[in-house]
Amino acid sequence: MGARGTGGIHESDIVLEFGAQVRTALEAQGFQVVQTRQGNANPSFDDRSAMANAQRGAIFVTLHIASTGVPRTARVYVMNDLASAADATGLIPWDRAQAPFVSLSRKLGDQVSALLAQRFKGSPAVTQTASVRQLRTTAAPAIAVEISSVTVEDRAQIDHMAPGIADAIARGAAAFRPIYVVPANPGERP
Amino acid sequence: MTPRWRYWLLGALFLAVAIAAIYLPILRRNIRQAAKLQQRSEEQARRELTQPTVINPSDPRVKAKLFWASGADDGTLSAVSVELPLSNDPVLRAKQVLNTLLAGPVDTELRTVPPDAALLAFYLLPDGTAIADFSEALATSIPSGIQSEQMAVDSIAKTLEANVPKVRRLKILIHGQEVETLAGHLDLSQAFLVNANAAIAPRAAMTGAPVSTGAGSN
Repeated sequence: MGARGTGGIHESDIVLEFGAQVRTALEAQGFQVVQTRQGNANPSFDDRSAMANAQRGAIFVTLHIASTGVPRTARVYVMNDLASAADATGLIPWDRAQAPFVSLSRKLGDQVSALLAQRFKGSPAVTQTASVRQLRTTAAPAIAVEISSVTVEDRAQIDHMAPGIADAIARGAAAFRPIYVVPANPGERP
Repeated sequence: MTPRWRYWLLGALFLAVAIAAIYLPILRRNIRQAAKLQQRSEEQARRELTQPTVINPSDPRVKAKLFWASGADDGTLSAVSVELPLSNDPVLRAKQVLNTLLAGPVDTELRTVPPDAALLAFYLLPDGTAIADFSEALATSIPSGIQSEQMAVDSIAKTLEANVPKVRRLKILIHGQEVETLAGHLDLSQAFLVNANAAIAPRAAMTGAPVSTGAGSN
């Protein structure tokens, strides 16, 4: 599951610990947090999106540890622009669920990116775009945070980043809250 | 049955169980190895059928633009001009530039795709959709992560955009199969937009078979 470093560092183990710290930081900002993965479970992309899409007024954050990149930096990704499918029912097509939320995702990403750049020298201050599979089916403002990297010799180097990452995500989400006008019903366009 | 025969029978049964206990794990290991070997042979056979792309020296030498990592650690690519004899046939031309891209730059640190990855087949549909089928190494040997996976796909897409104007979209297959992600992050289930302004083949051609196939044009 995921990236693996030469020192035996596994992405899946680290993100779980980062996730716990992000949860604490978000709850301290008054957010209710639903984690899509517990323990060694490995839900599918669609299962994770289904959990997020069932919430009203949610934001979605997916954490990753890369096996490349400058150690002790972090980047925020949002989905590339997706063509919105015209749908007579007004419902959002599952395979392009992110389409109506791309600009909101970018605003959320910019808030978090700016904080990460302050905290971790060398991290980009602007949000990057990529075709991240997990983001495509998520009907909410959604970002992927990628941390570099599992290739460090000493795992403590990554572990030390966790509080800063958690704080940047939580403060970024709090700054984004006033911008986010929540649709009246789940599945509606923002 | 006499007690003596019973002892012989029990002894024979015990021996049979002991032999089975020793032999079964060996048998299981042999079966696993044979399956692996067969899988490797299939991959090898496909590579031998598809590689190398014929380079015709009589093709005009043109400056092809290949996209490798810029070396800036920020996931950006930079174009490198390489003089190559390139075919006018879009499928052959695509194979030539992609194989050069896979061979890698002079500075191996700037590679965007794993050195053992191979292009198995390339198809171009009349609507400008290119289907590039890569060996499993593209997915299994690439450093995992959004940035590295995005760089690999961008370098392929940009190289096609710069050198094969007929390609409008790019669909990537791994060992002939449609896969959800490249190495756990980047979405390969959809086609990537390469060149929205490329000309589409006349409508009459759309009803036919693909313009050309990888196996047929080598």
